[in-house]
Amino acid sequence: MISKSRRGRLLAVAAVAALTLGAAACGSDDSSQPAAGGESSAASGPITITLQTFGGGKNFGYKEAVDKWNAEHTDIKIKYDNLTDQFEQVYWPQMIQWLQSGAGAGDVVGIDEGGMGLAKAHPEWWADLGEFGLQNRQSDFAAWKWENGVTADGKLFALGTDVGGMSLCYRRDLFEKAGLPSDRDEVSKLWPTWDDFIAVGKKFQSKVKDTKFVDGTNTLYNVVLVQEAAKNGNVSYFDKDNNLIVDKNPAVKTAYDFAQKISQEGLTAKLRNFTPEWNTGMKKSQFATLGCPSWMLGVVSGDGGAGPDFKGKWDVAAVPGGGGNWGGSWLAVPKQSKHPKEAAQVLDYLTGKDAQVSVFNYAGNMPSNLQAQQDPAVQGAKNEYFNDAPVGDIFAKSASALQPVFLGVKHAQVKNAIESVVSAIDDGSVPYANGWQKLVDDAVKAAG
Amino acid sequence: MTKLILAITIVISAFPLYYMIVIASRTNTEATDMPPPLLPGGKLGENIRSVLANPDAHYLTGLTNSLIVAATVTVSVVVISTLAGFAFARLNFKGGKILLLLVLLTMMVPLQQMGIVPLYRLMVNLEWVGSIKAVILPYLLNGFGVFLMTQYTEQAVPNELVEAARVDGASTLRIWWNVILPAVRPGMGVLGINTFMLNWNEFMWPLIVLTPDNPTVQVAINSLNAKYGTDYVLIFSGTLMSILPLIVVFIAFGRQIIGGLMEGAVKA
Amino acid sequence: MSLHVDAGQPTRTPIPPSRRRAHPRSGRSFLTWLDLKAAPYLLISPYYLLFLAFGLFPLGFTLYYSFFDYDLTGTVEWTGLGNYTAMLGDASFWKAVVNTLAMFVIATVPQILLALLLANALNKRMKAQLFVRMGVLLPLVTSVVAVAVVFTQLYGRDWGVINWILSWFGVDPIDWKAERVPSWIAIATMVDWRWTGYNAIIFLAGMQTIPKDLYEAASIDGASRRRQFWQITIPMLRPTMIFVVLNSTIGGLTLFSEPTTFYNGNVHGGTDSQFQTVSMFVFEQGFREFDYGYASAAAWLLFLLILIGSAINFLLIRRIGGNK
Repeated sequence: MISKSRRGRLLAVAAVAALTLGAAACGSDDSSQPAAGGESSAASGPITITLQTFGGGKNFGYKEAVDKWNAEHTDIKIKYDNLTDQFEQVYWPQMIQWLQSGAGAGDVVGIDEGGMGLAKAHPEWWADLGEFGLQNRQSDFAAWKWENGVTADGKLFALGTDVGGMSLCYRRDLFEKAGLPSDRDEVSKLWPTWDDFIAVGKKFQSKVKDTKFVDGTNTLYNVVLVQEAAKNGNVSYFDKDNNLIVDKNPAVKTAYDFAQKISQEGLTAKLRNFTPEWNTGMKKSQFATLGCPSWMLGVVSGDGGAGPDFKGKWDVAAVPGGGGNWGGSWLAVPKQSKHPKEAAQVLDYLTGKDAQVSVFNYAGNMPSNLQAQQDPAVQGAKNEYFNDAPVGDIFAKSASALQPVFLGVKHAQVKNAIESVVSAIDDGSVPYANGWQKLVDDAVKAAG
Repeated sequence: MTKLILAITIVISAFPLYYMIVIASRTNTEATDMPPPLLPGGKLGENIRSVLANPDAHYLTGLTNSLIVAATVTVSVVVISTLAGFAFARLNFKGGKILLLLVLLTMMVPLQQMGIVPLYRLMVNLEWVGSIKAVILPYLLNGFGVFLMTQYTEQAVPNELVEAARVDGASTLRIWWNVILPAVRPGMGVLGINTFMLNWNEFMWPLIVLTPDNPTVQVAINSLNAKYGTDYVLIFSGTLMSILPLIVVFIAFGRQIIGGLMEGAVKA
Repeated sequence: MSLHVDAGQPTRTPIPPSRRRAHPRSGRSFLTWLDLKAAPYLLISPYYLLFLAFGLFPLGFTLYYSFFDYDLTGTVEWTGLGNYTAMLGDASFWKAVVNTLAMFVIATVPQILLALLLANALNKRMKAQLFVRMGVLLPLVTSVVAVAVVFTQLYGRDWGVINWILSWFGVDPIDWKAERVPSWIAIATMVDWRWTGYNAIIFLAGMQTIPKDLYEAASIDGASRRRQFWQITIPMLRPTMIFVVLNSTIGGLTLFSEPTTFYNGNVHGGTDSQFQTVSMFVFEQGFREFDYGYASAAAWLLFLLILIGSAINFLLIRRIGGNK
């Protein structure tokens, strides 16, 4: 009675059922494991500390420091997990969700400056680093960098990793092609102001057709914003009482206007930063300059960015408008970590002098650790990838003088909304004429 | 004309999969060449080895998890639906009509999307975030399955058959096992395939409730994509490997799957 | 089909139902009585228990949450219908609604027509029948995110195959992620690629149940093949059509995976939410902005949208079948 096809089907069902049962039997152990932290019974094997970060290219630059730790330690291993390029859009909301739900966050997690306001407002998310003796690290940091890692009720929860600093990266070979000087000092002299920068851009664009002068609107928008913020009381989207001041702060309008201008002048490759298209744009020489806080050097030189094929073709010049501090991150230990003591130990190491010097030499992120900043290996450093640019001179000399821009509790959310608009005027989906109003409206909504 | 339509269809069906192989067998530089590469290169083995060696690529876990989740959900939904379908189609009981109407109403509700906030908070309270239990249980509820099996039982099992068994003294459960199940098997087949496939491709809820180191296959590919945005070779080798098991099953059981799908679709 | 009642059954003497009901006190017939009365409820109970836990509970709480205003900083405030009134005036919500409907129409209409055409072609005698059917069904056994990743690459602005092909015809590169209508088309093709073959197989199954003599009679009356298709096949397929259309309606109006992957896993759906769907909007409000109340209100409006969409489709299909 049983037809051939029916028997086959029965067989299939049986196979699936058997597979399921088998898989469920060995899978149940997996699923009951805590999501992060690689729990293993204390007696057997080393403890694994998961380090979660974000960023393009070499991101936090910890690769060599982590390799070194893992080679030297048998009891505690670090698992370095860079989750995504995008902080505001992907990493931070996901992290907030994990911190709230009590599962998913690593043992040590990176937080961008834009997330620190919210992180400080939620002391219940974090382990107290003071319990593990990290209070004694205070002298390693500038006052503002230290204080930002302390919650309102005085709990130390985060230590600084890098600081921003500011420069402008450019492609030597493409500048030569455009008949522009390619030496970094001469290039720096080309653009004391942003108006000069645009003038150089037009000259470049008239000579070179298949490469645009800048990546898109977003990167330089942020550069100008921090420069202007410094002139306006060091505030950007929020005042120090956490009121949204996007429409009142002239720094925002100036930065927006500049972004609009470079787009209107046709100098942008219309690539939004930290997207795959943007990264591919570096590999395909789609743009010739890039606003470069210190950590951007690692983004460019990393495999995900321009990568090894472009070694020696990039260089670092002074930024128009002089200085600025964009970005810089902290490391914290979430309360949900199963091994807070070991995590704090790892955090201590990663923010310490040796690891930070290694980060600077490997990726380029400027240490916020003062001892590392003073270290001759940092002060005198040249970056081979960037045509031996004296990055020690460029970033380290001014690092201790950097001032923070105040960022509100919802800075990351507002920044995300605003940057969407700044990119949208560039890719043409929002007309220039409506851009500013939409930026203000969306910022209000995101802060709401 | 007919042949042309079918040929074009098959080419279009296969092209994205073919393109996956093309990129997975090349280098990253070639992947973004212009004009784009259209023939496979020689690096498939090498690329797949590098995916396997990559500690961040959790899609082996993802594949196992997806298989456990989809199979568990499928088996449960089919059983629950045949039980209820039998009751609604062939047993008389008070409130039956109204209860069936309720099923029809819930069929329209995309529960896992609509109830996403409370479901998430429920999982947080149960401490199931990051565990595959969280992506199994909500999916056991499937109004479409009950509806389908009710329809199917009505068509496939004459009332007299049930009555005859009843007269022979068989209990309700025994009737279900000996009379209903053999008769509605094609319906179970189509429901099973449907459920498995939809569950396998579920993305929004797992994305919220699972964590990167214990993902389903969709979440695993998404994380790989987020981490290695421009490493096309790695991503494409990963996606290729993630769909391979299903394709193998499909080729092995294609006759049964298509037969079951068609047989089941007709009567429901 | 024969009955296989267990031989171990102590008695095969049929007990008339009326007698069983008359003597509920005697042990065995009490069990039988209980079996008759309680078993149906027992059989449906798994479904309804699940319905309580994962249906009614979330729906009720979604409604409850939608009356509150949640904030990232942890404050929760009663706002009554505030979320709903705010949403009715929220341009980004309506944008998501328009995007969803547009993509649904762009995807579903050609998909159903193509599936019918394909089913009609498959319904003829041919060699390698199984191979052809498997080829048509192939997209179904892939993973949605994997496929979206491939399509995203194909639709690249600068390095994508599709723009390259279009350039042969003198078309300037299209920025598929920035321009609204092209982004809809790109996503609709991903949806269609996955579902057209499946629907064709379902239609094919329906077509094979249509009695041959209907066509023979029509041929004798001199009706052309085309006429037969529209006059016989389509009306006879009505039940299958309802199944397919309802399925695509629910699937289409809750679209999430393809557009999210198209923007690298970001639920904003483009710089200006060009292709953000309502599901993505719910996700963004709930799990990017952490405004659980607003997300819950949006979820209810999504439900409303699906109800209206399904009702309209249902009526439309009834009309199609009605003029046979």
